[in-house]
Amino acid sequence: MANERANIDLLFRNGLKDYEVLPPVEVWNNILPVIRRKQRPVLLLRSAALLAVLLSLSFLAYQWSRQLSQSVQDPLIAVADQYIQPQINISPGIRTAKQPSVSKQKGNLIDGNTSDEQPVADLSDGENIRSSDIDIIPEIMDPTAGNNLSVPLSIQMIRGFSYNTDIANTGYESLNKYDFDEPKEKINRWSVTAMASPTFYLRPDIGTGEISDQINSSEQTRLSYTGGVGFAYKLSRKFSVQSGLYYATVGNEVSGINSFAGFREYDYTKGDHNFEVLTSSGRIYTDNADVFLRDNSGDRVQTMYTNDVFDPAKANLSYINNTLFQNFSYLEMPVIFRYKLVDKSIDFNLIGGLSYNLLVNNSVHTVIDGSRYNVGKTEGMNPLMVSSSLGMGMEYNLSDKFSLNLEPTFKYYLNPFGEFKGLKSQPYSFGVFSGLSYKF
Amino acid sequence: MPEIRNIIKGCLAGSRRDQELLYRRHAAKLYAVCLQYSGNDDEARDILQEGFIKIFENLICYKFEGSFEGWMHRIVVNTALEKFRNKHNLYRVDDIDLIPEPDSAPESEDYAGLEAVDLLDIIRELPPKYRMVFNLFAIEGYSHKEISEMINISEGTSKSNLSRARVILQKKVNLYTGLKKKVVIG
Repeated sequence: MANERANIDLLFRNGLKDYEVLPPVEVWNNILPVIRRKQRPVLLLRSAALLAVLLSLSFLAYQWSRQLSQSVQDPLIAVADQYIQPQINISPGIRTAKQPSVSKQKGNLIDGNTSDEQPVADLSDGENIRSSDIDIIPEIMDPTAGNNLSVPLSIQMIRGFSYNTDIANTGYESLNKYDFDEPKEKINRWSVTAMASPTFYLRPDIGTGEISDQINSSEQTRLSYTGGVGFAYKLSRKFSVQSGLYYATVGNEVSGINSFAGFREYDYTKGDHNFEVLTSSGRIYTDNADVFLRDNSGDRVQTMYTNDVFDPAKANLSYINNTLFQNFSYLEMPVIFRYKLVDKSIDFNLIGGLSYNLLVNNSVHTVIDGSRYNVGKTEGMNPLMVSSSLGMGMEYNLSDKFSLNLEPTFKYYLNPFGEFKGLKSQPYSFGVFSGLSYKF
Repeated sequence: MPEIRNIIKGCLAGSRRDQELLYRRHAAKLYAVCLQYSGNDDEARDILQEGFIKIFENLICYKFEGSFEGWMHRIVVNTALEKFRNKHNLYRVDDIDLIPEPDSAPESEDYAGLEAVDLLDIIRELPPKYRMVFNLFAIEGYSHKEISEMINISEGTSKSNLSRARVILQKKVNLYTGLKKKVVIG
């Protein structure tokens, strides 16, 4: 009996092993919109995470640059004590506590080394030298005795600080005299920058309704790229204006539209196009007479070759793909203002402005065996788009002339890509521009 | 033909093409499993649809260890189980399964000539509980203890359901093979 049981089990196990049944077409059409909807929040979360990482990196870079610049501003830390001690001839037995101390900075490091045996003069603050101090100086030092208070040249040259070595000759009142002769720095007002960025385009849903839902669930923007050259002019130390010319590509995937090849021999119409497909950017008009389109699950395809008129399966048309790819290219002319928030070894700029985007290429294709198959183009596209930009620029100065730039930038399009039947979609994008600047 | 690893990576990156490729490559096999676990085509379609949505959602959990087909198969079977539980959780009927097993074993037959499609038809004609227990035990290889936990029945019920399923299947198989033989001879 056990054998019988095993037999019947084996019969079914082996008999059904590797058995395949093709599922109905609509199963995939029902799966696709669900996984699309669920992927959108993931994409948003990823963008948010990327933004958070960039902000964290910016903050760390800012902190690091601050520390770096502080250490550069305080070079005396690296100077041995003997160089900062004035060579003052002190008569033995004279109290030195009231003598003026020489120190560049209120820094504890120097003050810490100050003792009765090692008198130093504080030049940083004139008030530190009290009248009582001055009263006592004649007793300890002959102003005409020569240049007794000498400071090594290495110290005097630090950051343009010029110590008046004639101090002993000109009298004690000039003890507090010191000049900051900032070297006249030549400002490079112009700069040219080559930049490129991957750009993530997103668009809000284009409203509610049957056709809107179909469009919302079936379209997905593709990763795009922007690149070009920009010129900037420095209006002041902190403020600059920038323009240039950039080339930007924008892509959109429209799924659920089956395309077939070989329709030319059945096309008896004389119209300029056989099929129209509604998309969030406009209507796709076919200009390839050989292509046949059919919407798998909705009403986005408008044609006279409807299901009851023409069946691509019976006509033996070759199935190509079920996704259409819309491609748009823009020439972008930005007018961007920059305000320098932090001027350190890594500069931080706040960036904002407008960009004018001129549509220069508009095509629609599908893919067959990895090759493009032309379908047509999208009608109703706005030829000129205006976008607003907001970003944070980081500039790392490699030298006086060259710098590396990193600019996470958010863009919002003020007018829609296209508009039809009152449905319009204003996309926004996020890109991280990187590039190299040359100043002159 | 792209490697499954590349297709999975493409799916994770959101590539619509790879998602469709994955579906097209495995849908037929998984649909056969769905049919095996369901009483009608609508139910099978639902299982496949939900199963694939889960596959895409959980693709990130697949660590490229073990068979990917096996991983997908388990997800689809679990989806079928879930549906079964939702449908049959209103009543837990153990007492009806106290009927003793049949005394005599069904006759052994020559099963040659029975095709997969016939087997599928036979198995789908089983009552849902019997079908589920038979599938889980005889096809998937689960123990009665595991099955009892999976579909919320006692081990005894699981054994009893299996036994009944086997009797019914044996009879139907005999009937099918008999009919086929008649057709061939006639």
